[in-house]
Amino acid sequence: MQFLLTLRDWMRPMLALTRKELTQLWRDRVLLLFLVYAFTVDIYLAGSGVTLQVSHARTVISNADHGVAARELTGRLVEPTFRVDAQAHTQAQALAELDRGGAMLALDIPPRFSADLAAGRQTTIGLWADTSNSVQGFMAASYITRVVSRFGIETGLSQALGQGAGVAAGSLPTVDNRIRAWYNPNQDDAWFMSLSQLLNIITVFAILLPAAAAVREKERGTVEQLLVSPLSPVQILLPKVLAMGGAILLAILLSLGFVLWPIFDVPCRGSLGLFFGLSALYVFSTAGLGLFIATVARNQAQVGMLTILLLAPMLFLSGAWTPPEAMPPWLAHAMVISPLHHFMDIAFGVMLKGQTAAALLRPIATLSVIGCLLFGFGLYRFRRQFG
Amino acid sequence: MTEGGKQPVVEARGFRKRYGAQRAVDGLDLTIHAGEIFGLIGPDGAGKSSFMKAVAGVLQFDGGSLSVFGTAIDSDAAAESIKDRIGLMPQGLGQNLYPDLSIEENVDFFARLRLVPQAEAEARKERLFAITRLGKFRARPMKQLSGGMKQKLGLVCTLIHAPLLIVLDEPTTGVDPVSRRDFWAILAELLQETGATALVSTAYLDEASRFDRVLLLHEGRALAAGEPSSLSAAQSGTVLTLHDLQSDEALQLARQFGYLEPRGRDWRLFLAGLNAEAAQAAITTLLGRTVQTRASEPELEDAFIALVGAPPAAPPVVVAQAHGAEPVIEARHLTRRFGDFVAVDDANFRVLPGEVFGLLGANGAGKTTAIKMLNGILPPSSGEGWVAGADMKRAGRAIKARIGYMSQAFSLYTDLTAIENIQLYASIYGLSRQQARERARWIVDMAGLAGFEDALAASLPMGLRQRLALGCALVHSPRVLFLDEPTSGVDPLGRRRFWDILFRLAREEGVAVLVTTHYMSEAERCDKLALMFAGRVVAEGTPASLKQALAARRGKLLALEVEAPRQALVQLQSAGVDASLHGRRLHCFVADPAAEAPRLCQLLASAGLAARALGELPASMEDVFVALMTELEAT
Repeated sequence: MQFLLTLRDWMRPMLALTRKELTQLWRDRVLLLFLVYAFTVDIYLAGSGVTLQVSHARTVISNADHGVAARELTGRLVEPTFRVDAQAHTQAQALAELDRGGAMLALDIPPRFSADLAAGRQTTIGLWADTSNSVQGFMAASYITRVVSRFGIETGLSQALGQGAGVAAGSLPTVDNRIRAWYNPNQDDAWFMSLSQLLNIITVFAILLPAAAAVREKERGTVEQLLVSPLSPVQILLPKVLAMGGAILLAILLSLGFVLWPIFDVPCRGSLGLFFGLSALYVFSTAGLGLFIATVARNQAQVGMLTILLLAPMLFLSGAWTPPEAMPPWLAHAMVISPLHHFMDIAFGVMLKGQTAAALLRPIATLSVIGCLLFGFGLYRFRRQFG
Repeated sequence: MTEGGKQPVVEARGFRKRYGAQRAVDGLDLTIHAGEIFGLIGPDGAGKSSFMKAVAGVLQFDGGSLSVFGTAIDSDAAAESIKDRIGLMPQGLGQNLYPDLSIEENVDFFARLRLVPQAEAEARKERLFAITRLGKFRARPMKQLSGGMKQKLGLVCTLIHAPLLIVLDEPTTGVDPVSRRDFWAILAELLQETGATALVSTAYLDEASRFDRVLLLHEGRALAAGEPSSLSAAQSGTVLTLHDLQSDEALQLARQFGYLEPRGRDWRLFLAGLNAEAAQAAITTLLGRTVQTRASEPELEDAFIALVGAPPAAPPVVVAQAHGAEPVIEARHLTRRFGDFVAVDDANFRVLPGEVFGLLGANGAGKTTAIKMLNGILPPSSGEGWVAGADMKRAGRAIKARIGYMSQAFSLYTDLTAIENIQLYASIYGLSRQQARERARWIVDMAGLAGFEDALAASLPMGLRQRLALGCALVHSPRVLFLDEPTSGVDPLGRRRFWDILFRLAREEGVAVLVTTHYMSEAERCDKLALMFAGRVVAEGTPASLKQALAARRGKLLALEVEAPRQALVQLQSAGVDASLHGRRLHCFVADPAAEAPRLCQLLASAGLAARALGELPASMEDVFVALMTELEAT
């Protein structure tokens, strides 16, 4: 009983401070607008605008052959993957187009291409890809390579069998590769993009909001007013995390309800409650970083800059762009400390795979440990700064 | 100073400026003549900055006319055409300077910006450095300068292109009295040398005597204008300082004369329209006994309050019996180091319950650091700070709940309403709902917040905001109250009301009040004072005892009125007289004012300067402060 009374006395100021934070946020219309924009429009843009697949790759062809086989090959470069809207007369012209940025791929078909094939001789074609954007260039190059090599195999087979191209492929002992795309059967990029953008935005605000709220107190000098009161540092800082965490969870709901579900049809195969519970855990973990920033920064502008500084490696190490297996070993190990990496596993696990808490035990446990460490560190810095 | 048919430098007729629905300046007429120092005096928000920015051509205005150097400022082109003849020093210490550049780099930058030919700039720079004594620090980065030095550097940068009109917006705000005096002397010297005209604003009413002519600005309107001496003289009357009043006598006096100001254990009373004898007679008649009094001239602050029209004052706080002899605040060898820098150095002082204790000192003297150690925000490096019987280093929650603290700049949540602020602090200090309601009622009543309960704190006028901050610091009825510069920027009426509340708390409830201030008129009100210099407490005592010590050390003050004050000052100082300039008057420290007056007048007369002795002047706390500081800086 005595303990409960003490707990009530301990909680009451914190509830008052939490309410204060929410009131302040509510009255800060600019910040509020930014929050709503980021959780709706920004995620919509990411989901509908960004795709990792190569589409409409502009291709320029210099065809010196004009034979049947050349027409057959170029006819296979079709929309939406390729867009052949430029014909060059010479190889030099095609390469100039590549230099100019007018095309991403240049295909050079030599004279006698069709004739050589028809005569059963080996022949070559030239292929150039603009890989200044390495991902897109690499993918475009591999797509066109696939098209060309398939054309080559089919032409070779039909020659060998003395039949028309591509007709009897099924009668040969080939491997039929049947892919089952799980969790995202249509391989819809919008699912991945919108969901990972939501996680990024959550990260931004989970750092930014508590940091800004704490630094605002420093800027206006109200923090001293709190420090002379009988409140402990935990009682001063926890309300900021509670209030801002609550606001972020609400914004997540907004994002799911107005963007992810209705527009992109992203499913929630697991428990929505579990998703929100684990989002709360993540927001709490990341808020520790925000509190750390608040002890370093002197004003709101510095909070903004430090947030960007911390955010860059967090996003990079999250695994959204590169899976850990593809990273150099030391970076792959570094990913363990990135809370976003674990939250990605959790969010995709719950939303798309329908995983349960038991299945996600490992990332949940890691995230909890990281969260406690970060929050403890933020608190330690605050204590040290304000004794 | 004379018109002589010459064109005025600045002429404003019906000048108006508004921000949204708020009228910053509402119909201002003024004329500034060539060569004069014109003072714009008023509290924060009176409209000073708006007018000054318009004169400098950097702010558009809404109505009336304004001409500078005979050019009507009615378009951007017109404003541009006069800018090369104007130097503007914006408000805020060192606001127009670059912190990472050295003194010299700052000056050079402004010279190049203003396209001053190199040779001319070099010569002028050396001259300005010589007058401001900044030359030997020329390589020091601006951010490492003291407040007074930043202010002087700002002045040098403003003057480097030899403007004909300089506009200085509150150059002395936040600067200690010594640096302020220094600044006025330098400004006067520079203006005399260059023949430039100056428009200067200040929030300190007691600086009015520094100007040739002044205009009192209040809520965007002119209250009065003219020569400083004529302003306070226009409000004829006498100020009496009374000792040993019984509490019923104090009540009686207040009922009769409106407002009785407690000053430590003394009382200060302004009697309008009466000369010294009539005033003393009136007191004797009213009280039916002869009270020990001292008469003096009214100050501009009295005139200001009379002009604004003071609301009926609350009954004065009657002198209560001592609330105990055990100190509730005690600094014991309190020391705080930041790296090599010693912010507070072995400070010792004690404050009794029911006592108002003033901590004075220049910026960076260690006042704020001392307060932060005493209320437990900052651990001391050595020594102890005892509050309410506990060492603050080990103080628990229980002690913290007995302390009230109001930090610099009234730290309120400006985006919360007045009542939300109060409720928040009530919850923080664990008051029950019932208690919180009662205290909120008390605070609203005490601070005069009725009708403003649901207004955002940001929208409150300065005085109200300050009293709301005090209310929040008092929500839990603390026994000890720390106030760090609680009245900067508040108008005289607001300050008067604030101090009445402090005295009520101290006298009636026995709260121990420790307050720091830059206003020397407020220092006079304290029961006891401690003066800090470079982290050390260099003097401690009642205002009266500190003044006595000054008289013993330096002598008494003799006021002289002279025709050409600046030349006269040079004359006297070269004759070895301890003199300082106060507008058209000179203050001299002499052993015996009555005996020395004829000799000094003669000394000036022989140099062809007409002078008149005004007799002995009671030393003010500012005199005490400046005298002590200059003595310490000399050692």
